Amino acid sequence: MKVGSSRKPHPSPLVQEFLEKGRNESCPVIDMHAHLGPYQGIYFPNPSAEDMIRTMDRCGVRLVVSSSHAALIDTRENIKMVDTVRRYPNRFRAYWVINPNYPERIEDEIEAFSKAKGFVGFKFLSDYHRQPLTSPRYALALEYANEHKLLVLMHTWGGSPFDSPSHVEQLARKYSEATLLMGHSGYGEWEKAIQLAKDYQNVYLELTAAYAVNGVIEWMVKEAGSEKILFGTDLPWFDPHYGIGCVIFSRIEDEDRHNILHINAERLLAPYLSSRPFP
Amino acid sequence: MKLFDCNACFGTSMLRPLRYAESGEELLAEMDYYGIAEALVYHARQRDDSPVVGNEILIEAIKPHPRLHGVLAILPLQTGELVKGSREEILERMKENGIKAFRAFPSEHKYLMTRTSLSPLYDLMCERNIPLFISINESSGGISGWYLIEKILADAPELTLIVTEHGSWGQDRFFRPLIEKYENLYLDISRYELDGGLSDFCRKYGADRLLFGTGFPNWNPGGPILMLLQADISRRERQAIGSGNLERILRRARL
Repeated sequence: MKVGSSRKPHPSPLVQEFLEKGRNESCPVIDMHAHLGPYQGIYFPNPSAEDMIRTMDRCGVRLVVSSSHAALIDTRENIKMVDTVRRYPNRFRAYWVINPNYPERIEDEIEAFSKAKGFVGFKFLSDYHRQPLTSPRYALALEYANEHKLLVLMHTWGGSPFDSPSHVEQLARKYSEATLLMGHSGYGEWEKAIQLAKDYQNVYLELTAAYAVNGVIEWMVKEAGSEKILFGTDLPWFDPHYGIGCVIFSRIEDEDRHNILHINAERLLAPYLSSRPFP
Repeated sequence: MKLFDCNACFGTSMLRPLRYAESGEELLAEMDYYGIAEALVYHARQRDDSPVVGNEILIEAIKPHPRLHGVLAILPLQTGELVKGSREEILERMKENGIKAFRAFPSEHKYLMTRTSLSPLYDLMCERNIPLFISINESSGGISGWYLIEKILADAPELTLIVTEHGSWGQDRFFRPLIEKYENLYLDISRYELDGGLSDFCRKYGADRLLFGTGFPNWNPGGPILMLLQADISRRERQAIGSGNLERILRRARL
Protein backbone atom coordinates (compact mmCIF):
# COMPACT_ATOMS: atom_id res chain seq x y z
CA MET A 1 0.00 0.00 0.00
CA LYS A 2 1.38 3.41 -0.91
CA VAL A 3 1.37 6.19 1.60
CA GLY A 4 -1.98 7.92 1.52
CA SER A 5 -3.66 5.29 -0.58
CA SER A 6 -7.25 4.44 0.12
CA ARG A 7 -8.54 1.37 1.92
CA LYS A 8 -8.57 -1.95 0.08
CA PRO A 9 -11.82 -3.93 0.30
CA HIS A 10 -11.85 -6.45 3.14
CA PRO A 11 -11.92 -10.05 1.86
CA SER A 12 -15.08 -10.75 3.86
CA PRO A 13 -18.20 -9.22 2.25
CA LEU A 14 -19.78 -9.19 5.71
CA VAL A 15 -16.98 -7.01 7.06
CA GLN A 16 -16.95 -4.83 3.97
CA GLU A 17 -20.68 -4.13 4.26
CA PHE A 18 -20.27 -3.05 7.89
CA LEU A 19 -17.41 -0.76 6.86
CA GLU A 20 -19.39 0.83 4.04
CA LYS A 21 -22.87 1.01 5.53
CA GLY A 22 -22.34 0.69 9.27
CA ARG A 23 -24.73 -2.24 9.34
CA ASN A 24 -25.35 -5.53 7.65
CA GLU A 25 -28.78 -6.83 6.74
CA SER A 26 -27.67 -10.44 6.98
CA CYS A 27 -26.17 -9.87 10.40
CA PRO A 28 -28.76 -8.15 12.64
CA VAL A 29 -26.81 -7.58 15.84
CA ILE A 30 -28.23 -8.50 19.25
CA ASP A 31 -26.71 -6.78 22.27
CA MET A 32 -26.97 -9.01 25.33
CA HIS A 33 -25.55 -6.52 27.83
CA ALA A 34 -27.13 -3.10 27.84
CA HIS A 35 -28.53 -0.63 30.34
CA LEU A 36 -30.81 2.41 30.28
CA GLY A 37 -30.74 5.94 31.64
CA PRO A 38 -28.12 8.17 33.27
CA TYR A 39 -25.61 6.87 35.81
CA GLN A 40 -23.18 8.10 38.44
CA GLY A 41 -19.69 8.18 36.95
CA ILE A 42 -20.21 9.04 33.30
CA TYR A 43 -21.66 11.61 30.94
CA PHE A 44 -23.94 9.93 28.40
CA PRO A 45 -24.94 11.78 25.21
CA ASN A 46 -27.58 9.11 24.50
CA PRO A 47 -29.11 7.73 27.71
CA SER A 48 -32.85 7.39 26.95
CA ALA A 49 -34.63 4.50 25.28
CA GLU A 50 -35.30 6.69 22.25
CA ASP A 51 -31.64 7.74 22.06
CA MET A 52 -30.61 4.12 22.30
CA ILE A 53 -32.96 3.12 19.49
CA ARG A 54 -31.42 5.80 17.26
CA THR A 55 -27.99 4.35 18.00
CA MET A 56 -29.24 0.83 17.38
CA ASP A 57 -30.67 1.84 14.02
CA ARG A 58 -27.40 3.53 13.04
CA CYS A 59 -25.39 0.43 13.96
CA GLY A 60 -27.70 -2.33 12.74
CA VAL A 61 -28.55 -3.53 16.24
CA ARG A 62 -31.90 -5.26 16.15
CA LEU A 63 -32.43 -5.80 19.87
CA VAL A 64 -30.81 -5.05 23.22
CA VAL A 65 -31.31 -6.80 26.54
CA SER A 66 -31.05 -4.14 29.24
CA SER A 67 -31.12 -3.53 32.94
CA SER A 68 -31.98 -0.06 34.15
CA HIS A 69 -29.08 1.84 35.71
CA ALA A 70 -31.39 3.11 38.42
CA ALA A 71 -32.35 -0.45 39.33
CA LEU A 72 -28.71 -1.26 40.04
CA ILE A 73 -29.13 1.05 43.02
CA ASP A 74 -32.80 0.60 43.96
CA THR A 75 -34.47 -2.50 42.54
CA ARG A 76 -37.86 -0.83 42.64
CA GLU A 77 -36.57 0.95 39.55
CA ASN A 78 -36.84 -2.29 37.58
CA ILE A 79 -40.19 -0.80 36.69
CA LYS A 80 -38.33 1.41 34.20
CA MET A 81 -37.50 -1.61 32.09
CA VAL A 82 -41.06 -2.95 32.42
CA ASP A 83 -42.22 0.28 30.86
CA THR A 84 -39.49 0.37 28.21
CA VAL A 85 -40.14 -3.19 27.04
CA ARG A 86 -43.86 -2.44 26.89
CA ARG A 87 -43.29 0.66 24.75
CA TYR A 88 -40.66 -0.90 22.47
CA PRO A 89 -41.37 -4.64 22.38
CA ASN A 90 -39.43 -5.16 19.17
CA ARG A 91 -36.25 -3.46 20.37
CA PHE A 92 -35.87 -4.24 24.08
CA ARG A 93 -35.82 -7.23 26.39
CA ALA A 94 -34.73 -6.91 29.98
CA TYR A 95 -32.95 -8.35 32.99
CA TRP A 96 -34.41 -7.91 36.46
CA VAL A 97 -31.71 -6.52 38.78
CA ILE A 98 -31.21 -8.32 42.09
CA ASN A 99 -29.50 -6.26 44.82
CA PRO A 100 -28.25 -8.66 47.52
CA ASN A 101 -27.84 -5.80 49.99
CA TYR A 102 -31.61 -5.81 50.48
CA PRO A 103 -32.22 -9.54 50.95
CA GLU A 104 -35.63 -8.96 52.50
CA ARG A 105 -36.87 -7.65 49.14
CA ILE A 106 -35.66 -10.47 46.94
CA GLU A 107 -38.67 -12.75 47.29
CA ASP A 108 -40.97 -9.90 46.26
CA GLU A 109 -38.61 -9.01 43.42
CA ILE A 110 -38.81 -12.53 42.05
CA GLU A 111 -42.58 -12.45 42.33
CA ALA A 112 -42.65 -9.15 40.41
CA PHE A 113 -40.29 -10.58 37.82
CA SER A 114 -42.53 -13.61 37.29
CA LYS A 115 -45.40 -11.31 36.35
CA ALA A 116 -43.44 -8.92 34.14
CA LYS A 117 -43.40 -9.23 30.36
CA GLY A 118 -40.26 -9.21 28.28
CA PHE A 119 -37.76 -10.14 31.01
CA VAL A 120 -35.35 -12.96 30.22
CA GLY A 121 -33.71 -13.42 33.62
CA PHE A 122 -31.68 -11.63 36.27
CA LYS A 123 -28.78 -9.19 36.40
CA PHE A 124 -26.16 -9.39 39.18
CA LEU A 125 -23.58 -6.63 39.78
CA SER A 126 -21.56 -8.21 42.55
CA ASP A 127 -18.39 -6.09 42.33
CA TYR A 128 -20.45 -2.97 42.95
CA HIS A 129 -22.92 -4.53 45.40
CA ARG A 130 -19.92 -6.03 47.23
CA GLN A 131 -21.48 -9.42 47.81
CA PRO A 132 -19.84 -12.50 46.31
CA LEU A 133 -21.77 -14.36 43.66
CA THR A 134 -21.61 -17.36 45.98
CA SER A 135 -23.39 -15.49 48.80
CA PRO A 136 -26.57 -17.19 50.06
CA ARG A 137 -28.26 -13.87 49.31
CA TYR A 138 -28.28 -14.78 45.62
CA ALA A 139 -29.57 -18.30 46.23
CA LEU A 140 -33.30 -17.57 45.87
CA ALA A 141 -32.82 -15.90 42.49
CA LEU A 142 -30.43 -18.57 41.28
CA GLU A 143 -32.74 -21.39 42.32
CA TYR A 144 -35.61 -19.67 40.53
CA ALA A 145 -33.45 -19.15 37.43
CA ASN A 146 -32.39 -22.79 37.54
CA GLU A 147 -35.95 -24.04 37.91
CA HIS A 148 -37.24 -21.88 35.04
CA LYS A 149 -34.16 -22.16 32.81
CA LEU A 150 -33.54 -18.40 32.81
CA LEU A 151 -30.56 -16.30 31.79
CA VAL A 152 -28.44 -14.67 34.49
CA LEU A 153 -26.13 -11.87 33.36
CA MET A 154 -23.37 -11.41 35.91
CA HIS A 155 -20.77 -8.66 35.94
CA THR A 156 -17.51 -10.65 36.14
CA TRP A 157 -13.96 -9.36 36.54
CA GLY A 158 -10.63 -11.12 36.83
CA GLY A 159 -9.27 -11.30 40.37
CA SER A 160 -12.41 -9.88 41.93
CA PRO A 161 -13.24 -11.04 45.46
CA PHE A 162 -16.89 -10.93 44.42
CA ASP A 163 -17.35 -12.10 40.83
CA SER A 164 -14.22 -13.70 39.40
CA PRO A 165 -14.45 -16.68 37.03
CA SER A 166 -13.81 -18.95 40.04
CA HIS A 167 -17.00 -17.69 41.66
CA VAL A 168 -18.87 -18.41 38.44
CA GLU A 169 -17.52 -21.93 38.37
CA GLN A 170 -19.12 -22.72 41.71
CA LEU A 171 -22.49 -21.55 40.40
CA ALA A 172 -22.13 -23.33 37.07
CA ARG A 173 -21.93 -26.69 38.78
CA LYS A 174 -24.81 -26.05 41.15
CA TYR A 175 -27.23 -24.32 38.78
CA SER A 176 -26.71 -26.28 35.62
CA GLU A 177 -30.15 -25.46 34.17
CA ALA A 178 -29.64 -21.70 34.39
CA THR A 179 -27.67 -20.00 31.60
CA LEU A 180 -24.86 -17.98 33.13
CA LEU A 181 -23.59 -15.07 31.04
CA MET A 182 -20.16 -13.89 32.17
CA GLY A 183 -20.46 -10.14 31.59
CA HIS A 184 -17.09 -8.74 30.45
CA SER A 185 -15.84 -12.36 30.17
CA GLY A 186 -14.13 -12.21 33.57
CA TYR A 187 -12.03 -9.32 32.25
CA GLY A 188 -8.32 -10.03 32.56
CA GLU A 189 -8.64 -13.60 33.83
CA TRP A 190 -9.10 -14.76 30.27
CA GLU A 191 -7.70 -18.27 30.52
CA LYS A 192 -9.95 -19.26 33.39
CA ALA A 193 -13.02 -17.63 31.85
CA ILE A 194 -12.44 -19.33 28.52
CA GLN A 195 -11.93 -22.66 30.26
CA LEU A 196 -15.29 -22.28 32.03
CA ALA A 197 -17.09 -21.55 28.77
CA LYS A 198 -15.44 -24.65 27.31
CA ASP A 199 -16.20 -26.93 30.26
CA TYR A 200 -19.73 -25.89 31.18
CA GLN A 201 -22.52 -25.99 28.65
CA ASN A 202 -24.42 -23.31 30.60
CA VAL A 203 -21.60 -20.73 30.77
CA TYR A 204 -21.16 -18.05 28.07
CA LEU A 205 -18.56 -15.36 27.50
CA GLU A 206 -20.08 -11.90 27.02
CA LEU A 207 -17.85 -9.38 25.27
CA THR A 208 -18.62 -5.91 26.67
CA ALA A 209 -15.28 -4.08 27.10
CA ALA A 210 -13.41 -7.36 26.63
CA TYR A 211 -13.63 -7.00 22.84
CA ALA A 212 -11.15 -4.11 22.97
CA VAL A 213 -8.32 -6.37 24.12
CA ASN A 214 -6.41 -7.17 20.96
CA GLY A 215 -6.36 -10.90 20.25
CA VAL A 216 -8.76 -12.03 22.96
CA ILE A 217 -11.65 -12.75 20.58
CA GLU A 218 -9.45 -15.04 18.49
CA TRP A 219 -8.38 -16.85 21.67
CA MET A 220 -11.98 -17.30 22.80
CA VAL A 221 -13.09 -18.60 19.41
CA LYS A 222 -10.18 -21.02 19.20
CA GLU A 223 -10.59 -22.46 22.69
CA ALA A 224 -14.22 -22.09 23.69
CA GLY A 225 -15.78 -21.88 20.21
CA SER A 226 -17.76 -19.00 18.77
CA GLU A 227 -20.98 -20.72 19.87
CA LYS A 228 -20.18 -19.71 23.45
CA ILE A 229 -19.59 -15.99 22.86
CA LEU A 230 -22.17 -13.21 23.05
CA PHE A 231 -21.99 -9.61 21.95
CA GLY A 232 -22.69 -6.75 24.36
CA THR A 233 -21.82 -3.06 24.74
CA ASP A 234 -23.18 -1.70 28.05
CA LEU A 235 -25.19 0.69 25.83
CA PRO A 236 -25.63 3.65 26.47
CA TRP A 237 -21.98 3.39 27.55
CA PHE A 238 -20.19 2.21 24.42
CA ASP A 239 -20.73 2.87 20.72
CA PRO A 240 -21.85 -0.46 19.25
CA HIS A 241 -19.69 0.25 16.21
CA TYR A 242 -16.62 0.09 18.44
CA GLY A 243 -17.48 -3.41 19.65
CA ILE A 244 -18.70 -4.59 16.26
CA GLY A 245 -15.45 -3.30 14.73
CA CYS A 246 -13.44 -5.36 17.20
CA VAL A 247 -15.44 -8.50 16.36
CA ILE A 248 -15.48 -8.17 12.59
CA PHE A 249 -11.77 -7.32 12.30
CA SER A 250 -10.77 -10.29 14.45
CA ARG A 251 -9.08 -13.06 12.48
CA ILE A 252 -12.05 -15.42 12.60
CA GLU A 253 -14.47 -16.83 10.03
CA ASP A 254 -17.73 -15.18 8.98
CA GLU A 255 -19.59 -18.05 10.63
CA ASP A 256 -17.95 -17.06 13.93
CA ARG A 257 -18.85 -13.41 13.39
CA HIS A 258 -22.49 -14.35 12.84
CA ASN A 259 -22.50 -16.61 15.90
CA ILE A 260 -21.10 -13.88 18.13
CA LEU A 261 -23.09 -10.96 16.79
CA HIS A 262 -26.54 -12.56 16.67
CA ILE A 263 -27.01 -16.30 16.18
CA ASN A 264 -26.09 -17.36 19.73
CA ALA A 265 -28.30 -14.64 21.18
CA GLU A 266 -31.19 -15.63 18.92
CA ARG A 267 -30.88 -19.18 20.22
CA LEU A 268 -30.83 -18.15 23.88
CA LEU A 269 -33.61 -15.59 23.46
CA ALA A 270 -35.86 -17.79 21.32
CA PRO A 271 -38.33 -18.42 24.17
CA TYR A 272 -38.66 -14.66 24.70
CA LEU A 273 -38.81 -13.38 21.14
CA SER A 274 -41.72 -14.73 19.19
CA SER A 275 -43.79 -17.01 21.38
CA ARG A 276 -44.38 -14.81 24.42
CA PRO A 277 -47.24 -12.33 24.03
CA PHE A 278 -46.87 -8.69 24.95
CA PRO A 279 -49.59 -6.51 26.45
CA MET B 1 -10.41 8.07 3.82
CA LYS B 2 -6.81 8.04 4.91
CA LEU B 3 -5.99 6.71 8.38
CA PHE B 4 -2.85 7.90 10.15
CA ASP B 5 -2.46 6.13 13.48
CA CYS B 6 -1.02 8.43 16.15
CA ASN B 7 -0.57 5.72 18.76
CA ALA B 8 1.01 2.41 17.82
CA CYS B 9 3.84 0.39 19.28
CA PHE B 10 5.91 -2.53 18.03
CA GLY B 11 8.74 -4.70 19.25
CA THR B 12 9.22 -7.13 22.09
CA SER B 13 7.95 -5.75 25.39
CA MET B 14 8.50 -6.95 28.92
CA LEU B 15 4.88 -8.06 29.20
CA ARG B 16 3.77 -10.01 26.17
CA PRO B 17 0.56 -8.74 24.55
CA LEU B 18 -1.80 -11.38 23.16
CA ARG B 19 -0.99 -10.18 19.66
CA TYR B 20 1.86 -7.90 18.63
CA ALA B 21 4.24 -6.92 15.85
CA GLU B 22 7.88 -7.77 16.41
CA SER B 23 9.30 -5.64 13.62
CA GLY B 24 8.49 -2.71 11.40
CA GLU B 25 7.62 -5.17 8.66
CA GLU B 26 5.14 -6.99 10.89
CA LEU B 27 3.59 -3.73 11.98
CA LEU B 28 3.15 -2.72 8.35
CA ALA B 29 1.41 -6.03 7.68
CA GLU B 30 -0.99 -5.30 10.53
CA MET B 31 -1.59 -1.80 9.20
CA ASP B 32 -2.31 -3.20 5.74
CA TYR B 33 -4.90 -5.57 7.21
CA TYR B 34 -6.68 -2.64 8.82
CA GLY B 35 -6.21 -0.21 5.93
CA ILE B 36 -4.01 2.18 7.92
CA ALA B 37 -1.76 4.22 5.66
CA GLU B 38 0.78 5.64 8.12
CA ALA B 39 1.56 5.46 11.80
CA LEU B 40 3.40 7.46 14.42
CA VAL B 41 5.10 4.71 16.38
CA TYR B 42 7.27 3.94 19.34
CA HIS B 43 9.27 0.82 20.03
CA ALA B 44 8.46 -1.18 23.17
CA ARG B 45 12.11 -0.87 24.21
CA GLN B 46 11.73 2.93 24.35
CA ARG B 47 9.30 2.35 27.21
CA ASP B 48 10.54 -0.86 28.82
CA ASP B 49 14.31 -0.29 28.50
CA SER B 50 16.50 2.77 28.93
CA PRO B 51 15.11 5.32 26.48
CA VAL B 52 18.68 5.93 25.33
CA VAL B 53 18.80 2.33 24.12
CA GLY B 54 15.19 2.32 22.95
CA ASN B 55 15.48 5.51 20.90
CA GLU B 56 18.34 4.02 18.90
CA ILE B 57 16.43 0.78 18.31
CA LEU B 58 13.42 2.77 17.11
CA ILE B 59 15.46 4.91 14.74
CA GLU B 60 17.09 1.89 13.12
CA ALA B 61 13.85 -0.11 12.94
CA ILE B 62 11.84 2.53 11.09
CA LYS B 63 14.58 3.71 8.74
CA PRO B 64 13.52 1.48 5.81
CA HIS B 65 9.82 2.27 6.24
CA PRO B 66 8.56 5.69 5.11
CA ARG B 67 5.05 4.85 6.37
CA LEU B 68 6.34 4.62 9.94
CA HIS B 69 7.16 7.86 11.77
CA GLY B 70 9.00 7.76 15.05
CA VAL B 71 8.87 9.58 18.37
CA LEU B 72 11.77 10.16 20.75
CA ALA B 73 11.33 9.14 24.38
CA ILE B 74 12.35 11.99 26.68
CA LEU B 75 14.31 12.23 29.93
CA PRO B 76 15.29 15.21 32.05
CA LEU B 77 18.42 16.63 30.43
CA GLN B 78 20.18 17.05 33.78
CA THR B 79 21.58 13.50 33.84
CA GLY B 80 23.21 13.92 30.46
CA GLU B 81 21.78 10.64 29.14
CA LEU B 82 19.64 12.05 26.37
CA VAL B 83 22.21 14.59 25.15
CA LYS B 84 25.76 15.26 26.23
CA GLY B 85 25.73 18.94 25.41
CA SER B 86 22.96 21.41 24.62
CA ARG B 87 19.34 20.68 23.83
CA GLU B 88 20.07 21.56 20.19
CA GLU B 89 21.71 18.14 19.89
CA ILE B 90 18.25 16.64 20.15
CA LEU B 91 17.03 18.75 17.28
CA GLU B 92 19.93 17.62 15.14
CA ARG B 93 19.16 13.99 15.88
CA MET B 94 15.51 14.46 15.12
CA LYS B 95 16.29 16.26 11.85
CA GLU B 96 18.72 13.55 10.77
CA ASN B 97 16.13 10.86 11.38
CA GLY B 98 12.92 12.61 10.35
CA ILE B 99 11.47 12.52 13.87
CA LYS B 100 8.97 15.22 14.74
CA ALA B 101 7.50 14.24 18.10
CA PHE B 102 8.36 13.27 21.65
CA ARG B 103 6.80 10.74 23.97
CA ALA B 104 7.00 10.62 27.78
CA PHE B 105 7.05 7.45 29.89
CA PRO B 106 7.55 8.89 33.38
CA SER B 107 6.20 5.78 35.18
CA GLU B 108 8.89 3.55 33.74
CA HIS B 109 11.70 6.10 33.48
CA LYS B 110 11.20 7.62 36.93
CA TYR B 111 11.24 11.38 36.63
CA LEU B 112 9.01 14.26 37.59
CA MET B 113 6.97 15.94 34.91
CA THR B 114 7.53 19.39 36.33
CA ARG B 115 9.10 22.61 35.11
CA THR B 116 12.02 21.96 37.45
CA SER B 117 12.81 18.71 35.67
CA LEU B 118 11.80 19.45 32.12
CA SER B 119 12.09 23.19 31.61
CA PRO B 120 14.60 23.09 28.71
CA LEU B 121 12.56 20.43 26.92
CA TYR B 122 9.21 22.12 27.54
CA ASP B 123 10.66 25.37 26.18
CA LEU B 124 12.03 23.58 23.13
CA MET B 125 8.70 21.90 22.45
CA CYS B 126 6.76 25.15 22.82
CA GLU B 127 9.17 27.29 20.79
CA ARG B 128 9.26 24.81 17.94
CA ASN B 129 5.76 23.32 18.10
CA ILE B 130 7.08 19.83 18.70
CA PRO B 131 4.26 17.69 20.07
CA LEU B 132 4.53 15.54 23.17
CA PHE B 133 2.57 12.30 23.47
CA ILE B 134 1.68 10.69 26.80
CA SER B 135 -0.64 7.87 27.80
CA ILE B 136 -3.24 8.59 30.45
CA ASN B 137 -1.93 5.49 32.20
CA GLU B 138 1.37 7.16 33.05
CA SER B 139 2.15 8.52 36.50
CA SER B 140 4.89 10.74 37.86
CA GLY B 141 5.88 11.31 41.46
CA GLY B 142 2.54 10.13 42.79
CA ILE B 143 0.46 12.14 40.32
CA SER B 144 -1.40 10.28 37.59
CA GLY B 145 -4.32 10.48 35.19
CA TRP B 146 -5.88 13.83 34.39
CA TYR B 147 -4.17 15.46 37.40
CA LEU B 148 -0.86 14.73 35.71
CA ILE B 149 -2.14 16.10 32.40
CA GLU B 150 -3.29 19.31 34.07
CA LYS B 151 0.06 19.59 35.86
CA ILE B 152 1.95 19.33 32.57
CA LEU B 153 -0.25 21.91 30.89
CA ALA B 154 -0.18 24.28 33.86
CA ASP B 155 3.62 24.19 33.60
CA ALA B 156 3.65 24.55 29.82
CA PRO B 157 0.32 25.99 28.62
CA GLU B 158 1.53 26.40 25.03
CA LEU B 159 2.65 22.79 24.74
CA THR B 160 1.06 20.62 22.06
CA LEU B 161 0.10 17.63 24.19
CA ILE B 162 -1.61 14.51 22.91
CA VAL B 163 -3.16 12.24 25.53
CA THR B 164 -3.49 8.66 24.32
CA GLU B 165 -5.79 5.76 25.27
CA HIS B 166 -7.71 7.83 27.80
CA GLY B 167 -10.02 5.00 28.72
CA SER B 168 -13.62 4.20 28.16
CA TRP B 169 -15.25 4.43 31.57
CA GLY B 170 -16.55 7.97 31.60
CA GLN B 171 -13.76 10.47 30.90
CA ASP B 172 -15.56 13.50 29.48
CA ARG B 173 -16.09 15.12 32.88
CA PHE B 174 -12.32 14.95 33.35
CA PHE B 175 -11.08 16.15 29.99
CA ARG B 176 -13.66 18.65 28.76
CA PRO B 177 -12.60 21.38 31.22
CA LEU B 178 -8.99 20.88 30.11
CA ILE B 179 -9.95 20.97 26.44
CA GLU B 180 -11.66 24.30 27.04
CA LYS B 181 -8.71 25.78 28.92
CA TYR B 182 -5.73 24.49 26.91
CA GLU B 183 -6.03 25.02 23.18
CA ASN B 184 -3.13 22.71 22.26
CA LEU B 185 -4.48 19.67 24.11
CA TYR B 186 -5.48 16.79 21.85
CA LEU B 187 -6.99 13.37 22.51
CA ASP B 188 -6.49 10.17 20.61
CA ILE B 189 -9.68 8.19 20.05
CA SER B 190 -8.28 4.70 20.56
CA ARG B 191 -10.44 4.22 23.68
CA TYR B 192 -13.03 6.99 23.25
CA GLU B 193 -15.79 4.41 23.02
CA LEU B 194 -18.58 6.49 24.50
CA ASP B 195 -21.76 6.10 22.45
CA GLY B 196 -22.28 9.39 20.66
CA GLY B 197 -19.02 10.69 22.13
CA LEU B 198 -17.30 11.62 18.87
CA SER B 199 -20.28 13.47 17.42
CA ASP B 200 -21.13 15.17 20.70
CA PHE B 201 -17.51 16.33 21.10
CA CYS B 202 -17.34 17.58 17.51
CA ARG B 203 -20.58 19.53 17.86
CA LYS B 204 -19.21 21.36 20.90
CA TYR B 205 -15.50 21.69 20.14
CA GLY B 206 -15.08 20.85 16.47
CA ALA B 207 -13.05 17.93 15.15
CA ASP B 208 -9.61 19.51 15.31
CA ARG B 209 -8.74 18.25 18.79
CA LEU B 210 -9.20 14.52 18.13
CA LEU B 211 -6.68 12.17 16.51
CA PHE B 212 -7.18 8.68 15.17
CA GLY B 213 -5.18 6.16 17.19
CA THR B 214 -5.34 2.42 17.71
CA GLY B 215 -3.31 1.69 20.82
CA PHE B 216 -1.85 -1.30 18.97
CA PRO B 217 -0.78 -3.87 20.11
CA ASN B 218 -2.77 -3.78 23.35
CA TRP B 219 -6.05 -2.65 21.85
CA ASN B 220 -8.01 -3.95 18.89
CA PRO B 221 -7.71 -1.43 16.02
CA GLY B 222 -11.04 -2.57 14.57
CA GLY B 223 -12.93 -0.67 17.28
CA PRO B 224 -11.78 2.88 16.59
CA ILE B 225 -11.76 2.24 12.83
CA LEU B 226 -15.43 1.27 12.50
CA MET B 227 -16.43 3.85 15.11
CA LEU B 228 -14.72 6.64 13.16
CA LEU B 229 -15.86 5.49 9.72
CA GLN B 230 -19.49 5.42 10.84
CA ALA B 231 -19.60 8.27 13.38
CA ASP B 232 -22.39 10.79 12.89
CA ILE B 233 -19.99 13.56 11.83
CA SER B 234 -19.21 15.31 8.55
CA ARG B 235 -16.77 14.01 5.96
CA ARG B 236 -14.43 16.89 6.73
CA GLU B 237 -14.50 16.07 10.44
CA ARG B 238 -13.88 12.39 9.74
CA GLN B 239 -10.87 13.18 7.57
CA ALA B 240 -9.50 15.63 10.12
CA ILE B 241 -9.64 12.99 12.85
CA GLY B 242 -8.49 10.18 10.56
CA SER B 243 -5.28 11.87 9.44
CA GLY B 244 -5.54 15.63 8.84
CA ASN B 245 -5.05 16.79 12.41
CA LEU B 246 -1.95 14.69 13.00
CA GLU B 247 -0.48 15.74 9.66
CA ARG B 248 -1.07 19.38 10.59
CA ILE B 249 0.54 18.91 14.02
CA LEU B 250 3.61 17.24 12.53
CA ARG B 251 3.84 19.86 9.76
CA ARG B 252 3.92 22.63 12.34
CA ALA B 253 6.94 21.15 14.11
CA ARG B 254 10.01 23.30 13.31
CA LEU B 255 13.21 21.36 13.69
